[in-house]
Amino acid sequence: MNSDQFKIVMNGDSAITILFNEDTSERLTQKILSLVALIKNHLNELIIDIIPAYQSLTISFNSKNINSDKLIMEVELLFNLPFHETEYQPKIIEIPVCYENEFSPDLESLAQHCKLTTEEVIELHCQPNYLVHMLGFLPGFLYLGGLSDKLFCPRKSTPAISIPAGSVAIGGNQTGIYPVSSPGGWHIIGRTPLNLFEPNSEQPFIANPLDKIKFSSIPKDEFLAFKRCF
Amino acid sequence: MSLYFIKSGLQTSVQDLGRKGQMHNGVSLSGAMDPIALKRANWLLSKPLNRPVIEITLVGPEIRFETEMLIAVTGAEFELSLNQKPVSNNQAIKVNSGDILTFGKLISGARAYLSISETINLPKVFDSYSTHLTVKFGGYKGRALKQGDRLNSQPSSSNQINNKKMPKYVNNAYTGSYILRCTTSVETDLFTEKQKADFIAKKYSVSANSNRMGVRLNESAFKFQKPIEITSSGLMQGSIQITPDGLPIISSVDGQTIGGYPRIANVIASDLPLLGQLKAKDKVSFIFISHNQANKILKEQCQALSFLNK
Repeated sequence: MNSDQFKIVMNGDSAITILFNEDTSERLTQKILSLVALIKNHLNELIIDIIPAYQSLTISFNSKNINSDKLIMEVELLFNLPFHETEYQPKIIEIPVCYENEFSPDLESLAQHCKLTTEEVIELHCQPNYLVHMLGFLPGFLYLGGLSDKLFCPRKSTPAISIPAGSVAIGGNQTGIYPVSSPGGWHIIGRTPLNLFEPNSEQPFIANPLDKIKFSSIPKDEFLAFKRCF
Repeated sequence: MSLYFIKSGLQTSVQDLGRKGQMHNGVSLSGAMDPIALKRANWLLSKPLNRPVIEITLVGPEIRFETEMLIAVTGAEFELSLNQKPVSNNQAIKVNSGDILTFGKLISGARAYLSISETINLPKVFDSYSTHLTVKFGGYKGRALKQGDRLNSQPSSSNQINNKKMPKYVNNAYTGSYILRCTTSVETDLFTEKQKADFIAKKYSVSANSNRMGVRLNESAFKFQKPIEITSSGLMQGSIQITPDGLPIISSVDGQTIGGYPRIANVIASDLPLLGQLKAKDKVSFIFISHNQANKILKEQCQALSFLNK
């Protein structure tokens, strides 16, 4: 990689962040994930964690074992090597969502804001295969790319105090699912019966970066049947 | 064999040194907010330093021991009594079955750590015994202990008092007024020199809304002329974010892993344990130091704490 494609900055005294001079895209996420694999392969002993994000990756390290100058040098050396993209076979994960009134307190107001009917909102929301850029914020929260610009809607000025786990929401130009109940300022348009975070299971998280998410609309009785089964 | 909670205290939970390496899945570190005090508690009982202990916050519990064991309390100073007779923190104490330990008035600091010679019987989640209180997993049923809870434990090898004493230079006084040392963070350069100078010049007080996710401060650092737009990236412990209203928030052990507001600075690793001893109305100010200075301070701190490895 050319050195003008990225910039390395300190993120406190125990982490560095590599910022990429490129717009958010599937292509960039692929590149970032390949670099995460590359760093893990070569520098695993020196680092604690690597957090990929839309246009960056953050490496946390134990500052007792290595100083940041040395780590930055190591990373720059690695980035100078011929660069191979890691092969990853993305999964397409279907997430059932019930968009009915009981689970969608903000669907009506969001439709009004977007000058659409609620049916059109649901149809537009179920159309894309959303790209998982990264996980973060809360355990198992998926940062998804690909929301139709017809559904963009500014976040609420006053966040709701408690949003139930599984709530599917739109905030700004993003859509997402609350993995656990938490406060939040996004517009709630439905709810999935799936658990996005199961700490005691062998697969605690539903998806990895680069996987695709597709929402499908289900009626309330199916939602309840699903909840009973799992 | 067990500890019975006659009173729970304000927020009493099982914590160890946290779960490292899961931030890329959105799982924050958790663990003791003051890991140095945790290590001291285990050291006094000659336990491995990373063993789970009980973190006690502002208002302490009342605990009945249902078997004889050794205990040690470190960190925030409370008026401690065993069967209504005063006992001291920072030393091993022998307790018998039926003895009752009461945490009275808080004297200084915010969080105390109670280690027991027995092994706390709990499953690990993501390789840690820590309780994630916001997301509700790990530790004891993923929550703070309540009145009537019984925390089971197993006998361990040694119940002999070893009379370990902490070196005199270990300062346990939490003055309530702190200068936190900082280095730069991802967005530091996006703030103007004036904003950085204002941020450093201000004296702050700790907000009562602070918790294990973050320490909030009551005073605004400055007013934004125009907002700083950022793209979300990995958010480290100690990050000092500035809200649109100019209020600083310092991320802590249960904080979010990505996102947040622009970061003007980051508290150095050596000063992170102090965040666990901050309570409402404590005074805080910040200074910037270089990354080299931060490394030097960390080395000195490791040296000063090297008695823990003996």
